[in-house]
Amino acid sequence: MDQVTQVIWDGLFVGSFYALIALGYSMVYGIIKLLNFAHGDIYMVGAFIGYAILTSLGGTFQALGLFALIVVMMISMLLTGTIGVIVEKLAYKPLRGAPRLAVLITAVGASFALEYGVSAIASPNPRGFPVRLDGDFVLVLGARVTLPQIILMLIAGVLMFALDLYIRRTSTGRAMRSISLDMKGSLLMGVNVNKVISRTFFIGSALAGAAGVMAGAYYGKIDFLMGFIIGLKAFTAAVIGGIGNIRGAMLGGLVLGLVESIGSQLVGGQWRDAFAFAVLILFLTLRPTGILGERVTERV
Amino acid sequence: MNFRKRTIGMLGIATAVLLATSACSGGLLGGGGGTSTDSGPIKIGMIVPTSGSSAPTGASMANGAKMAVDEINKAGGVLNGRMLELQIADGACDAQQAVASANKLVSSGVVISVGGYCSGATLPTLPIFNKAGIPMIIPAANSQDLVKEGLKNVFLINGTGLQQSTAALKFIKKQGYKSVALVDDNTSYSVDITTETAKQIEADGAAKVVLKTSVNAGESDYSSVVRDIIGSNADLLYWTGYYQEGGLIIDQLKKAGYTGHIMVADGSADPTLATIAGPAAEGVFATMTPTPNTIKGAEGWIADYKKAFGDDPKPYSTQSYDAVRLAAAAFKAAGNTKTDDVIKALEGIKDFKAFSGPLSFTPEHTLANGGFVILVMKNGDFQLFDDLQ
Repeated sequence: MDQVTQVIWDGLFVGSFYALIALGYSMVYGIIKLLNFAHGDIYMVGAFIGYAILTSLGGTFQALGLFALIVVMMISMLLTGTIGVIVEKLAYKPLRGAPRLAVLITAVGASFALEYGVSAIASPNPRGFPVRLDGDFVLVLGARVTLPQIILMLIAGVLMFALDLYIRRTSTGRAMRSISLDMKGSLLMGVNVNKVISRTFFIGSALAGAAGVMAGAYYGKIDFLMGFIIGLKAFTAAVIGGIGNIRGAMLGGLVLGLVESIGSQLVGGQWRDAFAFAVLILFLTLRPTGILGERVTERV
Repeated sequence: MNFRKRTIGMLGIATAVLLATSACSGGLLGGGGGTSTDSGPIKIGMIVPTSGSSAPTGASMANGAKMAVDEINKAGGVLNGRMLELQIADGACDAQQAVASANKLVSSGVVISVGGYCSGATLPTLPIFNKAGIPMIIPAANSQDLVKEGLKNVFLINGTGLQQSTAALKFIKKQGYKSVALVDDNTSYSVDITTETAKQIEADGAAKVVLKTSVNAGESDYSSVVRDIIGSNADLLYWTGYYQEGGLIIDQLKKAGYTGHIMVADGSADPTLATIAGPAAEGVFATMTPTPNTIKGAEGWIADYKKAFGDDPKPYSTQSYDAVRLAAAAFKAAGNTKTDDVIKALEGIKDFKAFSGPLSFTPEHTLANGGFVILVMKNGDFQLFDDLQ
């Protein structure tokens, strides 16, 4: 019983990271049908920005612990959001009318540019994060739950809830939804498409940046390739949830985390990814649109 | 008319270039014997990762080699004053990249190779260097697979996985551990050590292997392997992967309440392990070949290194330094840079003064003395704990 709850808790915790990053993938795909492969690297850049701010502000600020971390996370979100918009303006916007394959390749290019740009600036050495969230654990139904885990999941939850409200209740959110349905139509109805797309990139990248700072503080290590695998996993989560669907991305993240965790328990740790992706393949054969994705008829 | 003239001119240039290259390629094609000219600089090739996640180690290995080259050149070079010229190529810890780099080095005319960090990336370069008749002194990569084929041109100056496993078992028995968990990162080097250690522990019978598993490198969350280790009730974890994942696993293990001891293999025996794992790394043991910090009398060398590169030497800086010096010694003993003579000279090397102790080769071209010691992490740095003598 202890083992079971522990497995579920571990899965949900990792899943909330996947979910935060998956949101960015899903939002961008939903609106301009682009797989933004540089998104995982924005997460990495977020972690490095957090590292840079914390180190430059020094020990007295770091001693504030969680408070310092939240402040730094906010700043980091603003900066990664801006970087996301810059990437969009430089690498994607000029190609808006181009074939989708071309944009996909520039996305891969943007990803490498970010990775090796950071490696060139900050050196390829892994770094220890200056502020670490350590804390005692409490047993909840036999699972060891630590305070930092709860805090990070709460932060993730609040961010996702705010995003959901934003998309459903504000005019920009409505514009986003309308563009995802029909970009040309929205343009004709007077929606400022470019501005809304930029804002989408800003929000998605800011969320990834927040996840980066959180991962740095929790796991304690950052390096310039840290965004690669988690980016792929988050993309998977977005597909499981139904790519383009915001609530689907959140759900997909949690599901992927659980599948990985349970899979490694059942068939052994070294099979974790094999198991998780086998489930993904099976899932997509049975339900290609993902959990919450809707069947869309192809428009010509 | 004008146009045609230009075409003819270009044709002329093209023919000239063709002629020139075909004139040179005599050396390239005839290079199968590994001979080269008898004058001019002696080119030494080195494949180390200068990009990717192992880039920091690659850089410090290149520095170690540079240092030896500079010293030898300052002292007048080898073979009647010929200078050494180091050519570094990126192996990226990736088989494809390493093969491309090996081909590049071969065609640029190197006469010896002193590189090789990741075993998985070094392995596919062996046939390339072998065919070109280029002896290889491999400073860091140490998978048993490298010498399995018995290629005459391959020499390992780092202890092999087999020797490392023997050292690990010796320490396990000495400390009286009863149940051991073995975890690797699915790379050739790492699996080599866990498999060999498991074999030796089972054959010996003093301890038991309670868990043998692998993790995928490059992730942040290792909670599943942490659960497995704790569930196995091991009193020693032996992690044989690299420090990036090792640091995370150690930190997460301690946070999850693991109370047993931890030992890491040489790929994790780096102070960076402590920056990643934080206080959890304190007291972690490591099987390691002697490093600058654990070698008596290396203080002067460390100071020189710091002065030259503005950075502390890393574990394989010394081996790379020794590889170049060993190559120079072999040239001297052979009296030329011909493949067969250099190989014979290397086989005949006896008690060469290397950082890891007196160096000679076994008939399999591995170190006659394994030279593995046990280090322990204290205040964020590895120190000598037991020399297993």
